[in-house]
Amino acid sequence: MLEIKNLHAKVDGREILKGLDLTIPAGEVHAIMGPNGSGKSTLSYVLAGKEDYEVTDGSVTWKGEDLLEMEPDERAAAGVFLAFQYPMEIPGVATMTFLRSAVNAVRKARGEEEFSTPDFLRTVKEKAKLLQIDIEMLRRPLNVGFSGGEKKRNEILQMSLLEPGLCILDETDSGLDIDALRIVSDGVNALRSPERSMLVITHYQRLLNYIVPDRVHVLSKGRVARSGGPELALELEKSGYAEYGQDEASAA
Amino acid sequence: MDVPVQQFTTKAEQHLLDLYQQSADALPGNAAIAALRKSAIETYAGLGLPHRRVEEWKYTDLRGALDSVPPLLADREIAAGEADLKTAIGTVFMGLPAYRLVIAAGEFRADLSDVEGLRKDGVEVGALSQLLESPPEWLTDSLKESAGRDDTVIALNTALMTAGIAVRLPEGLTLQKPIHLIHLDTPGNAGSIYTRNAVVAERGASATLIESFGTFGVAGMQRNAVTTVSLAANSAIHHLKLQREALETIHLNVWAANVGADARYNAFQVSMGAALARNQVYVRFDGENAATDISGATLARGTQHCDTTLVVEHNVPSCESRELFKLVLNDESRGVFQGKIVVAPNAQKTDGKQMSQALLLSETAEFDSKPELEIFADDVVCGHGATSGQIDEELLFYLRARGLPEAQARALLIQAFVGEAFEALDDEEIANAFTAVAAEWLGTPAE
Repeated sequence: MLEIKNLHAKVDGREILKGLDLTIPAGEVHAIMGPNGSGKSTLSYVLAGKEDYEVTDGSVTWKGEDLLEMEPDERAAAGVFLAFQYPMEIPGVATMTFLRSAVNAVRKARGEEEFSTPDFLRTVKEKAKLLQIDIEMLRRPLNVGFSGGEKKRNEILQMSLLEPGLCILDETDSGLDIDALRIVSDGVNALRSPERSMLVITHYQRLLNYIVPDRVHVLSKGRVARSGGPELALELEKSGYAEYGQDEASAA
Repeated sequence: MDVPVQQFTTKAEQHLLDLYQQSADALPGNAAIAALRKSAIETYAGLGLPHRRVEEWKYTDLRGALDSVPPLLADREIAAGEADLKTAIGTVFMGLPAYRLVIAAGEFRADLSDVEGLRKDGVEVGALSQLLESPPEWLTDSLKESAGRDDTVIALNTALMTAGIAVRLPEGLTLQKPIHLIHLDTPGNAGSIYTRNAVVAERGASATLIESFGTFGVAGMQRNAVTTVSLAANSAIHHLKLQREALETIHLNVWAANVGADARYNAFQVSMGAALARNQVYVRFDGENAATDISGATLARGTQHCDTTLVVEHNVPSCESRELFKLVLNDESRGVFQGKIVVAPNAQKTDGKQMSQALLLSETAEFDSKPELEIFADDVVCGHGATSGQIDEELLFYLRARGLPEAQARALLIQAFVGEAFEALDDEEIANAFTAVAAEWLGTPAE
C-alpha cells in the first residue's frame, strides 16, 4: 500500500506539490488526471527519488516504509517503478546489457539469485513477445533511434522484468498511435495483480479506456481536488479541466 | 664526440646528450647506422627538449617534466618468464591468440618470442639490434624516412635505439593471427628504454600489430618507443596499442605511417598508465583512395597527464581520414588532444573528420583540445569537433531508477562513453580484450 500524506515539494525553489494526499491499496489501479502544471509529473519524480525535487513537508510510505529516505535504486529494489514520459537514450549501452544489469541489480538487492545468461534470455524473450518487441531491437543501444512507441514498449518491458509492487506510469500514452496504445495497455493489464498497485498519470481519458482504473483523482494546483470512480474520467473528457484551473506557469 | 649544441637550459637536456656520448660506441649498428645516429643527435642538440612555447608541445611541457635522465637500459640478463608477462600485460591480453614478440629492459627476447612461427607463415622478421649491423634496404629506408621529420622524440630514438623488431610482409600475404609485441620495463633499477620498430607491408599484404606496454612496477622509467609503418598499394595494417605503464613512467611514443594507394592504416590506442604520456601518430597519404582511422581512449586519474597528438597529411587526392578519441579524466588528471589535418593544394576530394570528447569526473580534471585544419585544396570535406562534459545527471537518474546503484550506474555511463571509440575494432576477440581492461580500470566486471 502507498500512502501519501500532506506532500509538499519544490522544484527550483518553486512549490509544485502543496499538500497532496493519496492512498493506493494493494492491487488497485489509480489514475491521476489534471491540467498541465498541476504537478502530475512532479509527483512521479518525487516518488522515484529524483534529486532536484525537494520534499519540504509531508510523508510517503510504501508498505510501511519511509520511501523518501531511500535512494532511487533502493526504491527500485523496494518495488517502485516509474515508466518515464520521456525514456532516456543511452548510446553505447546495448538495451540487453542494460536490462540484464538492472534486473540483476534489483534481484541482488532483494536477496534473490542473479539470473544466469540462458535464464535471463529466456525470460526477456518471453516478455518481449507479449509486447511485440523484436529481439533485434534489444541488441541496439538503449532507446537510440527507437520510435516513440518502441520506447514506451521498452519501458513496459523493463517494468515486467523488474516485477515492481508499485507501477507509476507517467503519461505513457503520450506520443502513441492507437495500435501502440493497445499493445502498451495490454502489457500493463497483464501485470495487474492483487499484490501490485498502479498509479497511472495521464492528461487524457483515452488511456483509461484500455487501462480501466479503480479510482480517478483530479490533481489541481498541487493537491487532489476531487476523487471518484472511473466515471470521473469520462466526465472530465466532456467538461475539460476548466474548473480546475491551470497554474500561471506550466510546471509540468 | 663533437656535437654542436644549442644552449641547453636544463640538466635533463644535457643528460640525454651525455647518454648518447657515453654509449654511442656500444650501440648496435654498422657505420651507416652510426652516422644516422650522429645526425639524429645533432638534430636533438639543435632542438633541445620541447616546452610549452613550442606550439606542438603547448600543453605538454616535456622539458619541465624531466628532472633527470636514468641510464640507458639494454639488459638481456633480466629474469622475465611467462608469469611476469601475465602480471605485466594482464591475462586477457596474454590470452589473445597471436604471434608473440617480447622486448624487456631494452632488449629483444628471442626466448620469449615466436619468431619461428612468423617466419614459417611467410613473414620476414628480425631483431633490430642484429639487423642494424647489416640493414636490408627496406629497413634503412624506413629509418631514414622518419628521421626526416623534425621531431625531438624521433631524433632521440634514432640516436639511442637499442632494440625492436623489423617486420616485412611480402606481397599479397594476409596474416591470420595478430602480431603481439609486448614491451616491458625492468624488475631492476629504473632506466631509459629506446625501442624502434619498423613494419613494411608490401603490395596487397595485411596484418594486425598489437603493441602492449606493461610494467614490473618499477618507478622512474623513461620510455621512448617509435614504430614506423610503410604501406604499399592495397595493403592494410591494423595497429593497436594498450599502454599500462607504471604510474611514474614517462612514456613517449610515435607511430609514423606512410600510406600508399588503396591502402588502409587503422590505429587504435588505449592509454591508462604513465605519469606523463605523449602519443604521436603521424599519417601521410602517398597514394590515392587510401584511408586511415585513428581512434582510441585515454583513461586517467590522479595527476596523470596524457597527450595524444595526431598529424594527418593528405598529400594526394581522394583519401579519407577519421579520428575519434574519448578521454575519461578523474581527479587532477589532464588530457590533451591535438589533431592536425593538412590538405595539400592538389589533394582534392579529401574527406577528413576529427572528434575528441572528454568526460570530466572531477572539478579539477582538465581537458585541452586543439584541432588544426590546414586546407589548401578547395574541393574537400573536412570537419572537427571537441566536447567536454560531465556525467549526465538525467541519464544517471534513469539508470538508478532501474535499480542500478550509483557507482554501477556511473561506471556503465562511462563505459558507454568510451565504448563508442571501441566500435573501431572490428575483431570481436580484440574488442573484448580492450573492453575488459577498460572495465577493469572502471572497477566494473566485464560482461
